[in-house]
Amino acid sequence: MNEVTAPQPWRGLLWLAARECLRVSKLWTQTMLAPVVSSILFILVFGLSLGSRIQQVSGFEYQVFIVPGLIAMAMAQAAYSNNSSSIFQARSDRYIDDVLAAPMLPWQMHLGLAIGGVFRAIVIGAALLALAIPLTGVPVEQPVALLAAVALLVALFGALGVVVGVYAETFDHHTFINNIVILPLTFVGGVFYSIDILPSPWQEISHANPLFYLVNAVRYGFLGTTDVSVAISFAVTAAIAAAIVGWSQYLFSTGKRLKP
Amino acid sequence: MNADASALSITGLEKRYDDGTLALDGLDLKVPAGEFFGLLGPNGAGKTTLINAVCNLIRVTGGEVSVFGRPATSLEARRMVGLAEQDPNLDRFLTVREALLYHGGYYGLTRRRSAERAEEMIDVFDLRAKADVRAPKLSGGMRRRLLLARALLHQPGLVILDEPTAGVDVELRRELWRYIRRLHSEGTTILLTTHYLEEAEALCEDIALIADGRIVARSTPDGLKRQFGAATLEDVYLKAVAKPAEHEAAA
Repeated sequence: MNEVTAPQPWRGLLWLAARECLRVSKLWTQTMLAPVVSSILFILVFGLSLGSRIQQVSGFEYQVFIVPGLIAMAMAQAAYSNNSSSIFQARSDRYIDDVLAAPMLPWQMHLGLAIGGVFRAIVIGAALLALAIPLTGVPVEQPVALLAAVALLVALFGALGVVVGVYAETFDHHTFINNIVILPLTFVGGVFYSIDILPSPWQEISHANPLFYLVNAVRYGFLGTTDVSVAISFAVTAAIAAAIVGWSQYLFSTGKRLKP
Repeated sequence: MNADASALSITGLEKRYDDGTLALDGLDLKVPAGEFFGLLGPNGAGKTTLINAVCNLIRVTGGEVSVFGRPATSLEARRMVGLAEQDPNLDRFLTVREALLYHGGYYGLTRRRSAERAEEMIDVFDLRAKADVRAPKLSGGMRRRLLLARALLHQPGLVILDEPTAGVDVELRRELWRYIRRLHSEGTTILLTTHYLEEAEALCEDIALIADGRIVARSTPDGLKRQFGAATLEDVYLKAVAKPAEHEAAA
């Protein structure tokens, strides 16, 4: 009766990742359609409607200038929201036990659970890019840099979602971080404007916003221009991503908050 | 695979929760391979904590646990344990068929093997009519069936059933008993916790009573009755687990 086979933790990782992507697909109107529609509305309302009344920003039409930041914002929120809500629900209903008891290594559980946010963010980013190019004519000047910036973005916000999903006691905690931290920092991180137009001290204060560097790294990939050095943009974003990924891996390696 | 022929070996197991509660107090236990073992005790005695320690669902604070001779934290040991938890903790986004299929995947089965086993379990536990229904829409009885099916899907050598018949009707309880007995007759080691003493007496070869995080008595059902001079297992239970309270009252 009992079939003794060697553990196949890699297979477990792939199944867990597939489960997270299946969840995103099953909830597609909420997980993918809604963020794409709201971001496109931003482009239409702020870019195409008001854009004709705003002079060029950093040498680009306004509707072109705002596209990279809006795509970055939508992807960041998707990666964060997906992972925090998925892990919070799994903890709350305790079906995460089926994963925690399974023959997988902690990093494999961590990666498998985080993949859903990465998948969702990439689908949203690709859909927005496909719509924004014909609507605004936004270029992709530095595709390699864009891919690197997107990789850092999904790693950072996917891991942040995991951390919040592990710590959250109620669903309000998940929405609190999104509405009170991520959304405001992204808005004032230069999505809708170049910080060159800000008076002192707001220009200097903007440099303390970590999401300012992420928005600029993504904008460099699209437009080939940034408000701050490209190297600094990538270095700051990579440092923050490494710290948050390290934090979320620590939670899985030690079992803190996941296991009583 | 297992030099000492124990399916489960626990030495000096201690679990102190972050709030200071001592749930397991240096507990020792060996369950021989192939045995039908019952663990009885009042609420809060440490039964579920013990199970969670075996299944890597808590951070133990002392002692050692091994499954078929391997540390319980090892991937090999995890592969050999199947757990049906007390509360139906089913993935709300998956159908019955998907819940089984994905569980097999987490435990390293190939897609084909996991799908075969899922169909087998669907038939064995009479879940065919609900195979494409998500867990939240299942009745309590169906959820219990699915929990058991999931625990057995990857064909573990040690199956842990934490109050598997709690809240189910008599008919389903007897049906689950039949299936569990058949599983045991095929060589699977069973660790069962239950509050139904007649269930423990009907199913288990060996029973341990746990109180305050320690094993306070262990024998066959008849051996326990002789040891405590009791006519029924209920009397044994009351005498064994009432002792600490009586001591407190006397003090």
